[in-house]
Amino acid sequence: MVMILNALSITTIFVGIVSAALMTWGFVTSSLLSWRWGKAATTEERTKLEDRSYLVFLIAIVILVVRLLNWPLFYGTLQSFIPDIEGAMCIFGVTQVRPIFTKFQEVLKPVVFFLIGAWIFIHMLDRATKTYPLMRRKLLFLSILSIFIVVDSMGDAVLMMTIRPGAVVSCCTTVTDILARPTKTTPESILGPGYTHILEVSYFVANFVLIGLVGFMLWGKKLETTSSWKRISLGLIFLFAIINGFIFVLSQIEAIAPKLMHLPYHHCLYCVWQYVPDSIAMYLFFILGTFAVGWAFTTDAIGRKGEAAEILPRYLKGIYWFALFCLSASLMMVIIHLVVA
Amino acid sequence: MKKKVWIIVILLVIGVIAAIGGLMKGRMAARCDYDGTRIQPIYEVDFEFEDCSIKRFCSIVCSLMDLKDEKKKLKYITVVDEVSGKKIDDSLAFFVESDVIAIPHVKNRIHVFAEKADAERHASQFDGKLIPNPFSLAMRK
Repeated sequence: MVMILNALSITTIFVGIVSAALMTWGFVTSSLLSWRWGKAATTEERTKLEDRSYLVFLIAIVILVVRLLNWPLFYGTLQSFIPDIEGAMCIFGVTQVRPIFTKFQEVLKPVVFFLIGAWIFIHMLDRATKTYPLMRRKLLFLSILSIFIVVDSMGDAVLMMTIRPGAVVSCCTTVTDILARPTKTTPESILGPGYTHILEVSYFVANFVLIGLVGFMLWGKKLETTSSWKRISLGLIFLFAIINGFIFVLSQIEAIAPKLMHLPYHHCLYCVWQYVPDSIAMYLFFILGTFAVGWAFTTDAIGRKGEAAEILPRYLKGIYWFALFCLSASLMMVIIHLVVA
Repeated sequence: MKKKVWIIVILLVIGVIAAIGGLMKGRMAARCDYDGTRIQPIYEVDFEFEDCSIKRFCSIVCSLMDLKDEKKKLKYITVVDEVSGKKIDDSLAFFVESDVIAIPHVKNRIHVFAEKADAERHASQFDGKLIPNPFSLAMRK
């Protein structure tokens, strides 16, 4: 088997295999514990199950944090393959060696990242209580999450082992810069020839609205109420954050990334990370801010039980402050870049 | 209060990083004005326009792709002789399309020579053929 061996690919493969093995064990154990927790009738039985859950949670936390860091490692590894792939000048070229497999991993990674964050917040909330009211939900969630992590981990390992050196690919310009690209034709057909300007304005409007909504929930003390209106609001804001995410990606590709790179006809987001390195931080803040809005929703949806419900508002406030900070930081970085450019 | 001060400080640091990043981009080493790759001097193509602005490209392929979108009036195009490394006007150059890929990421196979003898030698060595000036052809379309 011919593969590209460097420090990053070896790390990715090793981490992938170990994560898959441990989370397979985690899936089995958490599923069993969740099932038995539902059947446990006495406090002694519950205490025994709690004792057995410590190991699975300890291992889960370690693996989950490693998988959180795996997302940038994945792209770092692909970046390191560029010199060995003929025709590749950015990560896009490397993704063309195994295009379908790589695309699958790229779509799976944000899903896994989001689920891991959601689980960690539930775990932190549950650990802050004395009675662990969320134990069963947490175990069930972990067993589902484990499946995603096993698929993601094995996917990483297999992908890195099957990207062959010397493969010949096309440059990103042959896909991202052609006039018939879908990110141009679809918005242009809806918004008209001035679509790039409309997208750019939409990016700013949508982000300001989202930051405004998050700020309203914080300063209006809406997170401290227990009404069903709060859950609906959190859900709607999360939905708006997802829509904002689509607007972000589209506006970046068509309007903002070319300006950041000073390349008006180049629309490759992978190249932005190369030519404007601090854009990685800009994108990371945006992802964390958007996901934090979602984490608040999932924490409220799952954590509203028993003793956890009493301390829930404090956690929601913390998550929303984090979302506000990250979204503001991302927006500020884009504005500064555009002003300086 | 202390937390708010820290948040403001962190936001200021992020802002400074963004400003530095934006300013540095404008001062970076010569990069292709089409796809941003570093320009190898021996394959450089330059467009100079009526308004005295200049665009630089890593290869003939990128420059031709930009030519399609370019609305400003071109004054002249310079290419580089692969033997001597000197810049010459495209109208004085000889172009050879051969099996040798000069710029891998755009698969540029077009080579530039100031002397016809050099062009013919390259064509015979690397299974190539002399071709008409690609810029003249592109501008006629």
